[in-house]
Amino acid sequence: MRSGIQELRSQALDLEDRPGYHRYHIETDTTLEVAPYPSRFRVRVGRVGLAKFLLREIVHTRFNRQIITSRPCLYGVFSGPIGGFAPRPKLCVGCLRCMTEYPDFVRVSHNPDRQLLGDTYFTPQYVDAVTYEAQTGKVPVKGAGYRGKFGGDGWDGMWTDMSEIVRPTRDGIHGREFISTVVDLGEKPPYLLFDENHTPIGPTPNVLSLPLPMLFDVPPASLMQESLLSVLVESASALDTLVVLPPSALRKFDLHRSRIVPLVAPEDLPALQDSLEQPRMIEMASWDEKLHKEIRTRFPGSILCVRLGFAAGYEEQLLRCVHAGVRVFHLVADFHGRNENGDFAIELIQRAHQTLVEAGWRDSVTLIGSGGIVAAEHVPKAIICGLDVVALDTPVFVALQVAMVGECAVQSASQFKAPKFTTQWGVQRVKNMMASWRDQLLEVLGAMGLREVRRLRGELGRAMFQNDLEREAFSGITGYQDAQADN
Amino acid sequence: MLKQTIEQRITEKHTSALHRGFHVWPELRYGKMPALGDYRWTADLIYATWAQAETGSVPENGLEYRIGDSGGGFDLLDFKFLPPGHWVPEDVPVRTSIPLNRRPRDRRIEIPVPFYGGGMSFGSISENVMLARARAAALWKTFTCTGEGGYPDSLAAYNDYVITQVATGMFGVREETIQRAPIVEFKYAQGAKPGLGGHLLGDKTTVAVARMREAVPWVSLFSPFPFHSVYSVEDHKKHIDWIRTINPEALVSVKVSTPTDIDMVAVGSYYAGAHILQIDGGYGGTGAAPEIAKKNIAMPIEFAIPKVHRYLLQEGIRDEIVVMASGGIRTAHDIAKVIALGADGCVLGTMELVALGCTRCSNCERGRGCPFGLTTTDPELSRLVDPEWGAERISNLYRSIQLQLCQILRHLGLQQISELRGRTDLLLYSKKNGRHP
Repeated sequence: MRSGIQELRSQALDLEDRPGYHRYHIETDTTLEVAPYPSRFRVRVGRVGLAKFLLREIVHTRFNRQIITSRPCLYGVFSGPIGGFAPRPKLCVGCLRCMTEYPDFVRVSHNPDRQLLGDTYFTPQYVDAVTYEAQTGKVPVKGAGYRGKFGGDGWDGMWTDMSEIVRPTRDGIHGREFISTVVDLGEKPPYLLFDENHTPIGPTPNVLSLPLPMLFDVPPASLMQESLLSVLVESASALDTLVVLPPSALRKFDLHRSRIVPLVAPEDLPALQDSLEQPRMIEMASWDEKLHKEIRTRFPGSILCVRLGFAAGYEEQLLRCVHAGVRVFHLVADFHGRNENGDFAIELIQRAHQTLVEAGWRDSVTLIGSGGIVAAEHVPKAIICGLDVVALDTPVFVALQVAMVGECAVQSASQFKAPKFTTQWGVQRVKNMMASWRDQLLEVLGAMGLREVRRLRGELGRAMFQNDLEREAFSGITGYQDAQADN
Repeated sequence: MLKQTIEQRITEKHTSALHRGFHVWPELRYGKMPALGDYRWTADLIYATWAQAETGSVPENGLEYRIGDSGGGFDLLDFKFLPPGHWVPEDVPVRTSIPLNRRPRDRRIEIPVPFYGGGMSFGSISENVMLARARAAALWKTFTCTGEGGYPDSLAAYNDYVITQVATGMFGVREETIQRAPIVEFKYAQGAKPGLGGHLLGDKTTVAVARMREAVPWVSLFSPFPFHSVYSVEDHKKHIDWIRTINPEALVSVKVSTPTDIDMVAVGSYYAGAHILQIDGGYGGTGAAPEIAKKNIAMPIEFAIPKVHRYLLQEGIRDEIVVMASGGIRTAHDIAKVIALGADGCVLGTMELVALGCTRCSNCERGRGCPFGLTTTDPELSRLVDPEWGAERISNLYRSIQLQLCQILRHLGLQQISELRGRTDLLLYSKKNGRHP
C-alpha cells in the first residue's frame, strides 16, 4: 500500500507532467573560481612571539600536546603542518579571535589586493556577493546584522516595503515557488477589435513570455570574444531567456538562435537578411525611421525593440517612438547607472515610466533597462521604478571572473579582461548567479505579499526613499533644513 | 582543589586569553585591529563597549563611544545640550525608569532603565549566553526575552525577568512557559529579515535545541511568515485573548517590523489590546539573515519611531501604549535619541553580545557557530562564556548606559527620562557626523 506521502508526491509529479504546467527551476551546482581571487584577509604571525608563547605553554602544561595544539582558529588557519608559523590566510574568515587572544604576535588585516576587485561602483563588496552567488547558487546569508552605510546615493537610498500579515500564498516561505516571476515582452494592445466575422482587426498581441524578468545585454567591444558569447547564448538558452548580440551571432550560434536578440544598426540589415528564420525579437541600436520600416516589412512577426540612451529629451523620444508604433524599449544607462548629466537610474527610469503613464501608453509598452544593476536587490528596485525587465551586463561578467581594468562606467570606453574558461563552467556560473538572484527576488516579493513580479512594475508605493523618509522624520529637527540647503 | 580535565584546561587557556584581549585592546596599547569594525559598529564602538562591560563606565582614552560612522540616522543626530550653568545638579536625582503598561488596567510593571534585552533564541545563542542575559536582567530588575526557541529550564530561576516569545513557528511554546511569564511577546516580524520568518541553520539544530523546539536534530528550522492564523486586527486580538486566557496576568508585547504603514500597524496593535509595541528596524543583529533583507526591506528604525509616535498622538492613544524600539541601537546616546524621537524605550540585542566579546565578524551561521561562544550551540564553544562572567559584563554595560543617560538628561535640564520622549526639539541634525565637544 502506498503511503500518504508517496501519494502526494505522485500527485505533484502528475501535476508537473500536465501539459501547460511547468515549474520553473534553475539547476545549481557548486562551481569554483577558475583563478582564485586574493584571500579576504592577511594573517601575519610574529615567529619570535609565537615561539616564546609555545615555550611558555610547554613549561606551563608540562608538554601536554592537546592543550598546546588547541588553537584559537576554528577555520584551520593555524592547522597546517607547522601551525602558526605558516598560517593559511585563504581559510581566514576575519573573526579576529586569534588577534583578540594573542595581540602580541598575531595580526589580521584586510587584504588590499582584494580591494582592487571591481571599480568604484561595482565595489569589492558587490564582487564578493556576485562571486558567492555564482559559485554556490545560494542566497548570501550572514549573521550579526547589517554592516554598511546607513543609506546613500543610488539604489542604497531606497528600501522596499513589507507586509506584517499579507502573504502571496498561505504556505509562507514554502509557498514562494508559486510566486510568479514571469514577464511579458512585446506588443500588448489595450483591447482587440473584431469585424462582423469575428476576425480580429487592428493590432493583435505579439508577446514573448520570459520566466524571469532578466535577460543579458550585449557585451562591450572589449569582451566580444567567442568564449564569453558562447556562455551568454547557452546560458540564455538554459534559463529560457534572451541575450542581445550582434546579428552575426545568429549564424554563429544557430542552435540557440531563438534566444538571440540581434542588435541592428542600418548597416547590419544585410547580415540579418541572410537569416532564414525570423528572430523572435530584434533590437534597433537607435531610433531610425527607415530601418524601422524595413524591419517591419521584412520581419513582420518579430517583436521590435528600440535601444535608447537616457540622453536629454529621452522622454519625448520615447513618446515619438510609441507613436511610430514601437512597443518595446531598451533604456540604457552607463555601467554606473547614470546618464551623461550624472542623473541616476532610479530617477531616469521613473521619468520614462511616468511619461508613458501620463500619455496613457504604459500598459501597452514594455520597458527593458540596463546599466548600474549590479546586485540582486537592484532588480526589484528597478522594477519598482518602472522597468518590466532588466538586461544584465557587468554582474554577468563578474560572475565569469572578468576583471575590470580601471573604471568601467562608459560602455565604449570600458576595458575588461576575461580569464580562460570553458563554456560549461561559464554557463553554470551564470545559472548559479541567476538562481540566486531569482530566489532573492522571491524573498522581496514574498515580504511584500506579492504573488507575481508583473504587479511590482512601477509600484512606487512599495518603495521608500531615504530623502522622503528623512524629511518626514527629521524636518522639525534643528539643522535639517540647513543641511538640505547645503546639499 | 579538584583536578581539571583536559577540556577544562583548554577552555581556561582560551577564556583567559580572550578576557585579557577584551581588557587590553580597548586600552589601545596595541593600536586598533585593522580588520575590526564596520560603518555601523566601528572599531571604536566595539572597544568602547568592551571597556564599558569591564568597568561600568565610558572609556576616557578618546574612543568614540557615542556614534558610529554610518553617515545617517543616529549618526547624524546630536543633542542641544544646555550650557553647564543650566544643567540639573548632581545632587538632584534623575529618574530613568519607565512603565511597561500604560493602560488603565492590568498589572503594573516598571523597569528602572528604559531598556530590556531582546529575543534571542536558544539555538541562535548558547544557553550560557541566555543565562548571562537573564542574570543581568534580574540584577537590574529589567527583562530579557527567550526568542523563539523555547524556555530552557535553567532560566526558570529568573522567571520574573524573562519575557517568553510566541512566534510563527511556535517553537518551544508551551502552556507552562506562557503561564510563568510576566510578559508574553508575539513576534510578527523581525527587523533584520522582515517578511521572511526566522531561520535556524541545520548545523545549529543540535539534539538539545531540537528537543526544546520539538523538531528533528540537524535540520534547518524555518519559522513560517506570517502567523497563518492572523490576517486582520481582529485575528491579532484573538491571539492576544488566547494568551490572556492562559495567563491573565501577563502583559502582551507585539514585535513588528517597519513597513511603510507602520503607523497603522501600531494603531491596530493598540486596538487589539497590546500593552507594548516593539518596532524592530532593519539594521539590527541576527544569527542568520539573507543579506538582501538586512539593508533593503523595511525602513530604518530612526524613521519609523517619529512616524509611529506622531500617529499615536494624533489618534489620542499615545499614552496608553508603550513603544519600544529596536534594531541597530548601539550606544547610550542611541537610546536617548530613540526616546527623543518618540519611543518610550529600547530593546537591546547586539549591544549585549558585543559586551560579551562579539567582534561582529558575521560568522554566526557558519559551521559550529560563533568562535567566541556566543551565537553557537556547540558545547565546546559555549563553554567560552561563563554565565556569571557574562552577567557581570552585561550588568556593567547597563550601569554605564544608565550613567550616560542620567548625564544626558542633566545636560538637557530634564529630571526624568519620560520627559525626553518625543522631544525632537532637543535634537540637532548635523552632517558633521553628530560629534559634539
